Amino acid sequence: MMHKLLIVMCLLFIAGAGYVSAEEIPDSLKPALPSDITIYPDSGGNVAVIYWFPSADDGAGKNIVTGYALYRSPSPKGSFEVIDTVPPGPNRYIDFLPIDTTVVDSGAPFSPAPVTEVTLADKDNDHGHAVIVKWKTSADDIAGSPSNRVLAYNVFRAESQSGPYLMRGQSASGDTQYDDVGSKEREARDYMPDYTDYYYIIRTKTIEYHPGHKDYFYIVRSITDNPDNYRETSPLQFDGTIYTDSQVYGPVQCFGQWFNSGLIPVLIFVICFTAITVFMIFRARRGAELFVRRLAGIEAVDEAIGRATEMGKPILYVLGLGTAAEIATIASFTILGRVAKKVAEYQTGLIVPCYDPIVMTVAQETVKASYMDAGRPDSYDENMVYFVTQSQFAYVAAVNGVMLRELPATNIYMGKFFAESLILAETGALAGSIQIAGTDEIAQIPFFVVACDYTLIGEELYAASAYLGREPVLLGSLKAQDYAKAAVMIIAIVGFITINLNWDWFVNLFRVAN
Amino acid sequence: MSNLGLIISLLIIGAGLLWLLIRSLQGKEVERRIIFLFIGLAVSVPLLFNITFSEKATPIVKALYDKIDNLPEGSNILLSFDYGPTMAPEVQPMSDVLIRHVLAKNHHLFLMGLWATGQSLGAEAVDRIIKGDFPEKIDGIDFVNIGYKAGNQGVLNVIVTDFRKLYATDVGGRDLDSLPIFNGIKSLKDMDLLISVGGGFPGVKEWVQFAGDPGNVPTGGGSAAVSAPLLYPYYPRQMLGLMGGIKGAAEYESEFKRHYERFKDMPEPGVKMMGPQTLAHLVIMAFIVIGNLSYFFGKKGKQS
Amino acid sequence: MAVTKKISLLILAIVIVLFAVSWIAKTGTFEDTGMPLGLSVRDGFLVTFAAFLTLSIFSFLYKDNPYYKFAEHLFVGVSAAYWMCVGFWSTFVGNFIPKVSEGLSNFFEVPYKGFDVFYFIPLILGIMLLLRMSSKIGWISRWSLAFIVGTTAGLNLIRYMRSDFISQVSNTFVPLVVDWQGFGAFFSDLSLNASGQLIMTMSNWVIFIGVFCGIIYFFFSKEHSGFFGGASKVGIWVLMVTFGASFGYTVMGRVSLLVGRLTFLFHDWLGLIN
Repeated sequence: MMHKLLIVMCLLFIAGAGYVSAEEIPDSLKPALPSDITIYPDSGGNVAVIYWFPSADDGAGKNIVTGYALYRSPSPKGSFEVIDTVPPGPNRYIDFLPIDTTVVDSGAPFSPAPVTEVTLADKDNDHGHAVIVKWKTSADDIAGSPSNRVLAYNVFRAESQSGPYLMRGQSASGDTQYDDVGSKEREARDYMPDYTDYYYIIRTKTIEYHPGHKDYFYIVRSITDNPDNYRETSPLQFDGTIYTDSQVYGPVQCFGQWFNSGLIPVLIFVICFTAITVFMIFRARRGAELFVRRLAGIEAVDEAIGRATEMGKPILYVLGLGTAAEIATIASFTILGRVAKKVAEYQTGLIVPCYDPIVMTVAQETVKASYMDAGRPDSYDENMVYFVTQSQFAYVAAVNGVMLRELPATNIYMGKFFAESLILAETGALAGSIQIAGTDEIAQIPFFVVACDYTLIGEELYAASAYLGREPVLLGSLKAQDYAKAAVMIIAIVGFITINLNWDWFVNLFRVAN
Repeated sequence: MSNLGLIISLLIIGAGLLWLLIRSLQGKEVERRIIFLFIGLAVSVPLLFNITFSEKATPIVKALYDKIDNLPEGSNILLSFDYGPTMAPEVQPMSDVLIRHVLAKNHHLFLMGLWATGQSLGAEAVDRIIKGDFPEKIDGIDFVNIGYKAGNQGVLNVIVTDFRKLYATDVGGRDLDSLPIFNGIKSLKDMDLLISVGGGFPGVKEWVQFAGDPGNVPTGGGSAAVSAPLLYPYYPRQMLGLMGGIKGAAEYESEFKRHYERFKDMPEPGVKMMGPQTLAHLVIMAFIVIGNLSYFFGKKGKQS
Repeated sequence: MAVTKKISLLILAIVIVLFAVSWIAKTGTFEDTGMPLGLSVRDGFLVTFAAFLTLSIFSFLYKDNPYYKFAEHLFVGVSAAYWMCVGFWSTFVGNFIPKVSEGLSNFFEVPYKGFDVFYFIPLILGIMLLLRMSSKIGWISRWSLAFIVGTTAGLNLIRYMRSDFISQVSNTFVPLVVDWQGFGAFFSDLSLNASGQLIMTMSNWVIFIGVFCGIIYFFFSKEHSGFFGGASKVGIWVLMVTFGASFGYTVMGRVSLLVGRLTFLFHDWLGLIN
């Protein structure tokens, strides 16, 4: 706890110091820090290797970095002494640590068994630039046991057998695998070219120290010509615990795959579904009889039109707030066509207030065509379909006004609806109209369900449109979806049975790898 | 004194509901403004008299809590602010308690946003919570706010393989490579947990589809109540946990406070909101009962 | 007509007076906390203005009115401008500039990342999209739109297939009984806890039957009669329960937002609660 507190205080101190100096030199003028600083032991812990990638302002950016200064202290809050200054560019610094010779070496120190059976392989199903390193844990690694002296495994990689080996990452004790994933960008720091030989060493790290050795803390500073203009890291810990390196393994090369076999299930489904859709659309185009059951909602529409005729009152048709490109609105046009045709046949009134000017134009054409179809082009009045406004609540207010003034026998809401759904449906219910709604906005369906006499839920809207319009694309897609649903039902039943019989193979077919 | 006020207020609400019942049984219309007034009262009274209830975490909330609590110290947790000020009262309590929990566990916290408004809300959370409760945490070492990028789910699709293709700097304009917290962090796959707090598009669902599933990273979230039901199908296999609406936030806050002595005095907006919620729900339920009674037994109902 | 106008003017006068009183009072409160006068006046105005806008929106509950319209339009305008600014700084300055020009990068104080010619493709597509504003050459924007629609469809198809189709289908493969260890163990530990064996088992059944019957309801190639009819009835029940839950959640969400605004009014503005 004390130790943590010290680190925290030290960080605070540095933050504070950074803040003070920031008053003198603006932060934007200061050099960037070097990145990916790693510090690891070598020569049995006698040496600390400090490795970093140059600052963004070293040879690039502001280009003001004249080098890096290294500081060392035995404690994170102690006084850091400068150990060396090194020139700019990518760098590696070897620091020979001061060994406390007064500590008596009491016999041979503990040395963990190295990892064995290391296998290196290119990572499958990726774009390359990655190697999977697997190993058998050290004989001293008793994972999960409180007496386990092995702390972790460090993975080092080099491009030649003799090194230099750079640390790539760490796996906890008990782990047997490390995925060494590099970057594919040539300019990136951890760029890992394909088709290059890589050699690996796996280091077994313990929690114990050599006699006389201890941890050190380092600060790396980007320096410039101006001694006051610098930026430094917080204290970085050098870990001086005992370790054992494995032998060198390799070489291995990484490379990309053209095909990600993990996504085969997705491919199969995409191909099957697309094939069925295209096939069904072709069938529908050739005039095949594709059965779609009668929807109760459509019957309700017919009944409602009949009722309006009997009462001598008009029908209000609302297309929602969607644009003409939205599927729900397109489906709504088909239904409007059907409603308008019946209306023309029965000589009932029709009111279509529109929210979108383009929707209005299409709706006008639709209604006109329906009146033609019904053989009553003379009854068509262009003012049946009109534009109101493109402000959501102003539109609602206008439509509500129509409902209360004209008292339509039937209100039909089909298309995209948002917050106005309940306000519209409530007013309609108050006015005593029969109401039929349909939308694919899931969040609005509950409101329509409570306030309307009949609601087309989600996909039923498309189905209704396909049923009425017999448009090959809609009808074919609907049929294809039905086949997909049938497939889902069958798969669900088979999966349900197999998982209860503990047959994992079927469930595994649906596992999508990355 | 305040108890007396509370009792009087509750009596007024109760008497008003009774009056409504009688009126509607007589077949008289109830103006909608009266209903608004009742809801206003039901929400204000518990706020003014500070009524709170104790909450117990349900499994779906507990799952998220346990995940953060059980990750080893120094794990990388990303929190995305996918909401705007209009949704903030409901979901901000979630992001607040998550930030506290993540930092109290000494994890590394990465903040970002798929909503433009998320960037400034994230910065505001840094000022309010991190600077206030965790003055020892350093920007760039313990936490970082990388802000917003346009592109909705497209952003996720890119950063699931490489952060630096879209994000060159954090919100302060500092190069990601110069920040120690980004050492060894290449993509979302290097995160130990992804959390999205939001309630619209893009939100938790997109995080599951475009980051959690393809990157194989545990994903959790907090969602505005409106979209919470649509997220349940992903639990528990694709989404490990979820705070649904303010109730979820209140549960998380209680769970957090129970285990972290240090934060026993922290503000708990979620729990505070549950008082008004409870009374408002009771009033709405009373409306439903009144409506049905008057429909079945009232004069107007019998006529039709 | 003249009477309505007089009432409107009267209301306007009252609103102005209340606004001024609130501004002065709030300035005083901020000053008491030791804030300098200039800042107090500013913050006093901001809090008062925010409260005015909140109340303006609330006034819609009574009736549509000019105050509501003012607040609504202000909100719409400010959000649009905000999104545009953030879009400019995060996308144009954040992503584009560092990849094309060192001079501009320095001007905007973003780190230069090296020239990349590919970044001109989105720039050109973006400019084409803006041509929509012209009625003559507006058709060019369709190329950009086609690009957006095409890539989004392709991207979404794979992700939806995977997350919403394959994964969701496999999520319905659930065991009939959870952790079965015999009847003795089952009844001795019968709890109604949400993570208990009984509830977990029941929820697995609900998931399976719910999904199955829900799909049957949306199956359009067969008449709903016999077994199909029964199953689709169960399906519609499942849907209605879902809508009920969703409705309840919506109520909770809306009440939360109301609580948020009232907390602002009571705490930040009026100082009634702490």
